[in-house]
Amino acid sequence: MTRLRFIGLAAALPLIGACGITSRIEPYKQTDAVIAKGEHVVVLARRQHSTHEAEEEFVQCISDGLANGKNGLDVHSSKDFEDKMYPWFEPSTAPLSTEDLSTLLDRPGVLEQVESTGVRYVVWLDGSTDRVASGGGITCAAGVGGAGCMGLAWWEDDSRYDATVWDIKEIESEGTIYADVKGRSVMPAIIIPIPLVTRPQAHACRDLTDQLRQFLTSPEGYPSPGSPPPPAGDVG
Amino acid sequence: MSPLPADGSRLRWLVVAAVACLTGCGGSQVIVEAAFPTPLIEPLPVSMGIIIPDELYNFIYTEDIPDQSLWTIALGDANVAMLGPLFKGMFRQTRDVESLARVAGDTSLDGVIEPKLEKFEFDVPNGERDEFVEVWLQYQITVYEPNGGTVIQWPVSGYGKSELLRDPEDAVQRAAIVAMREAGATISTKFSEQPQVKAWLGGIGNAAPNVGAQAAVGEPVADEAGTLE
Repeated sequence: MTRLRFIGLAAALPLIGACGITSRIEPYKQTDAVIAKGEHVVVLARRQHSTHEAEEEFVQCISDGLANGKNGLDVHSSKDFEDKMYPWFEPSTAPLSTEDLSTLLDRPGVLEQVESTGVRYVVWLDGSTDRVASGGGITCAAGVGGAGCMGLAWWEDDSRYDATVWDIKEIESEGTIYADVKGRSVMPAIIIPIPLVTRPQAHACRDLTDQLRQFLTSPEGYPSPGSPPPPAGDVG
Repeated sequence: MSPLPADGSRLRWLVVAAVACLTGCGGSQVIVEAAFPTPLIEPLPVSMGIIIPDELYNFIYTEDIPDQSLWTIALGDANVAMLGPLFKGMFRQTRDVESLARVAGDTSLDGVIEPKLEKFEFDVPNGERDEFVEVWLQYQITVYEPNGGTVIQWPVSGYGKSELLRDPEDAVQRAAIVAMREAGATISTKFSEQPQVKAWLGGIGNAAPNVGAQAAVGEPVADEAGTLE
């Protein structure tokens, strides 16, 4: 019995070890501006690329993450902001640089409309989650005596995003946070498939939200000495 | 004025259902419905008649995609929901008109605008590597002078894509809305930049200085041949 347990443990450990998340977050803040009481932030997806765009659920996850919690920020709804600013934040018309933003704000009524929303900071999200590798295989069979599967499948997803923060009041870029989270999932099948799934996108959302909150609330953009460091490194 | 009764949406559902049943009661049906915002732009100082043709109200696109299914996509409601606020935001005054003949010689209008949906294409991926549903459409915007002369026939395209999650119909709907918003953005921001439109606005300005002054601010005006002055 003890030997059986040992064999089971020995077989399970490499599988659990193969499943994990690697996270890298790089914040770069170039001003010391912080969000003030009554000022809002809006999170928007960059949609100019033909091959990818930040997923709607990821944008919503970041928005909700910034708004929730004991240090929740005033987050304006992305859809509502795009509607109020229509047609200036559509894929073909959205400002790509702070120079474009300056030109846009000079248009009649645009600055007044932005001010009416209370939004001072725009967070532009770019990137996506993609499957970068997969392999293995599982075979299943069924007979009169029963059914079962045998094998091992694995896959690796990569969540790469960058969040660029613009200050609409000062018409300048505050900086950018890069997030790269890789997640390796495995599914061994011994009679029944057992999925050991990692969710790098959810992890990227959590990390990016924490870092954005620091970015918007502390002049340095990262925790001051004494407070816990932002999540980084192998956390699988 | 809509040629359909007030519950036109229900009628459209019936038409879509009838098309689906005639072809075997299978396939995918999408009725694109959304609220579209009024554009945040300075309205042109002109009074426009708006013709929304029946084909636009009742636009239904059908396509049988091999190895997938028959798709039936109704855009009538969305066309009206998008173009109504769009034109109201673009022009100082608007009025719905039934046909060009009805406003012949009407001096209260500076022009008449008529949109048509000329082309509609979409793609639903079935491969694992493709992640986006894509929609492409093209409106033809025609502006007439009240006497019937054509000012411009302007094709305007819109492209939209949407992540394919569990429900392909929902993804097609979202991509179509993005494409329509894109087309609306182009119409509202580029209309007054078209050389023929500039010339037309300049002509109105010469006839009525209080109307043309605002339109001409900072804008080079093209002559009839389209060359910029």
